[in-house]
Amino acid sequence: MIAVLVLLIAPLLAGGLSLIVHRSALLHAINLTSMSLLVGAEIMITRTVLKDGPFTALEQFVYLDALSAFILFIIGAVGLACSFYMRSYMDDQVARGVIAPTRLNLFFFLFHMFLLAMVIATVANSVGVQWVAIEATTLATTFLIAFWRRRESLEAGWKYLILCSVGISLALFGVVLTYYSSLHVLGDVSEALNVTQLLPVAGQLNPHVLKLAFIFILVGYGTKVGLVPMHSWLPEAYTEAPAPVAAMLAGVLEIVAVYAILRMKMIVDHAVSPAFTGGLLALLGFASFVTAAFFILIQHNYKRLFAYSSIEHMGIAMIGFGVGGSLGAFGGLFHLLNHAFAKSMAFFAAGNIHRRFHTVEIGQVQGLALAQPWTAMALMIAGLALSALPPFASFVSEVQIVTALAAQGVPGQWLSNSGGMVTVAFSNRFTSLSLTGLFLLCSVLAFSGLLYRITGMVWGTPPEGIVRGEAWTLGHLPIIVLAAALVGFGFFLPQPIRQLLEEATRIILVH
Amino acid sequence: MQISPHIGSQLVDLCSALLLLTCFAIVAQRRLSACVDLFALQSVFLVLTAALVAFLTGNRHIYIAAALTGVIKVVIIPRVLKKVIERLNVKRELVMNVNVPAGLLICGALVMLAFFITQPIIPLGFLLTRDSLAIALAIVLIGFFTMIARQKAVTQLVGFLVMENGLFLGATAATYGMPLIVELGVFFDVLIAALIAGIYTNRLQDAFDNVDTNHLTTLKE
Repeated sequence: MIAVLVLLIAPLLAGGLSLIVHRSALLHAINLTSMSLLVGAEIMITRTVLKDGPFTALEQFVYLDALSAFILFIIGAVGLACSFYMRSYMDDQVARGVIAPTRLNLFFFLFHMFLLAMVIATVANSVGVQWVAIEATTLATTFLIAFWRRRESLEAGWKYLILCSVGISLALFGVVLTYYSSLHVLGDVSEALNVTQLLPVAGQLNPHVLKLAFIFILVGYGTKVGLVPMHSWLPEAYTEAPAPVAAMLAGVLEIVAVYAILRMKMIVDHAVSPAFTGGLLALLGFASFVTAAFFILIQHNYKRLFAYSSIEHMGIAMIGFGVGGSLGAFGGLFHLLNHAFAKSMAFFAAGNIHRRFHTVEIGQVQGLALAQPWTAMALMIAGLALSALPPFASFVSEVQIVTALAAQGVPGQWLSNSGGMVTVAFSNRFTSLSLTGLFLLCSVLAFSGLLYRITGMVWGTPPEGIVRGEAWTLGHLPIIVLAAALVGFGFFLPQPIRQLLEEATRIILVH
Repeated sequence: MQISPHIGSQLVDLCSALLLLTCFAIVAQRRLSACVDLFALQSVFLVLTAALVAFLTGNRHIYIAAALTGVIKVVIIPRVLKKVIERLNVKRELVMNVNVPAGLLICGALVMLAFFITQPIIPLGFLLTRDSLAIALAIVLIGFFTMIARQKAVTQLVGFLVMENGLFLGATAATYGMPLIVELGVFFDVLIAALIAGIYTNRLQDAFDNVDTNHLTTLKE
């Protein structure tokens, strides 16, 4: 239980301290201490969950099972990597006079609040509290995205704030509807939105209300995940945000939003057949995957390239969850982990490149291997992992998802149930084969688009006036560790992580 | 004083209908400050509805929510928005994506859509506030539409706040209020969101000399 308290208090305290401390070294020290405490607490929680199963704490406010422990693991790992990276990145920006030292306080305060909101969204027992926390992440990050205060960043921040707030409002309507249905079973008690109360009685909830609720929640949190067609804020926000913030947005925030959708899916699946939720997830997943795969081909800006690749990978994970079965769900979760590592690494590399070349245009970046060898290596590894090539772990997870897709096909029952609106009926076998074909085609597109751009940046000779050589900094440490994890997980998944993934898969699939 | 459930239900319906009516007024209004006034008026109706539901059902915590709505949505947020408008050089919505008559027609269609969607689930509700769920969804949809149809940052913000009002009406009417902790959190989020948007509008004004979101096209493909 101490671990849970640490999880909530560490970011809160660190946020408060960040406002009063003025020395940058101290700010970083606070940040690193708080992140390390978070990771420590996370490890304790994982051990408890794996040994004794799910538990609640703080008078039912907190509910933790293998799935939330897994999400916490991603938050902790990527957060810690970001903190190390920020040590060199932010100091460099201050030294070059891009940001005033006094604004560091604001940056760290918002960063800690962002973390706190994500932790609460992950551990909250009540679906309502989870909504409040996810909206709080929008509010905390909007100024982080607009941190450079250029016209473009203000624009990106405003777009993000408005689109995500509206999307999230729709999700709130879904939460209200969930409460509407649970009141009839559980009565007017404040626990009627708690997962621990909802799951046992989920079978008795009204299926009509829950279907409507799930659609609202999927659209709402889907905006936050960046699923097509609610994705238009995402490329701008990722381009304009400072690199560590972009890494956190892409690596962690998306995954917390996916988690919120999965929680709801588990409840709805009890009342409605899983084919309904699965079909919707797969539909949005395919829309995102296909759209992003084509947009990747036409990008000239490397940060936008990574942004579209995020949309692509979230689409793939959604297909995994939508297809379901133990293979699909496991692949989906594993893919979330791989994507978080690879994408945060890609944005670390992007931050380094931007500081050296002062441009986000792919065409103007050349000869990275000579100018910044470490960064070039990181970019290459991240790029290969994001294109899902062997021996990287993302290859394994994508193969798992596509195997599940080919074997089971997309659940299509909701099509025939939706009031005869869709009359075209394919044979199931044909649909599943053609969808698998589409999946593979888009993977190839994304793969070639991404690698073509990245190799163009890495090889060649650097333009005139670009300093060659790269000094070792603390910011390189997370890049090395993440790269090792990306390759290593493909061959051998450490026992605790494997067990956590298997338990989480079982939780998603339980009926 | 005892009010028969029938009259109570009629009163709640009346208040919800007034909320919906102000939505139409907002869609038809071109002056920015009048939009903000209408939003404040709508929030007053929302407070009345919530207080009525609280009185008729005896649920104490709805009074708290009603009081918070009064403070935040009737007083604070309209004042912030008025301050923002004072700084702006534009007082009226000049170019609209959808003109007023067409906008009103679309809103009428949205109301019908809302009633259509909620048809199967309305009989589950409490007798007192049955129809309010449909009205709440209609208000959410109209708020959503306002955000698409208008270009000024302030009007978009009003659209967002109208959506929030609809959600709050839904929560109060359909379920007699959400759990208190959730409601407090929602109020907190809305307040912060409005303040942040106000700050943004000022910064956008400084950066672009204009808060027409149509100018926010630098990042287009």
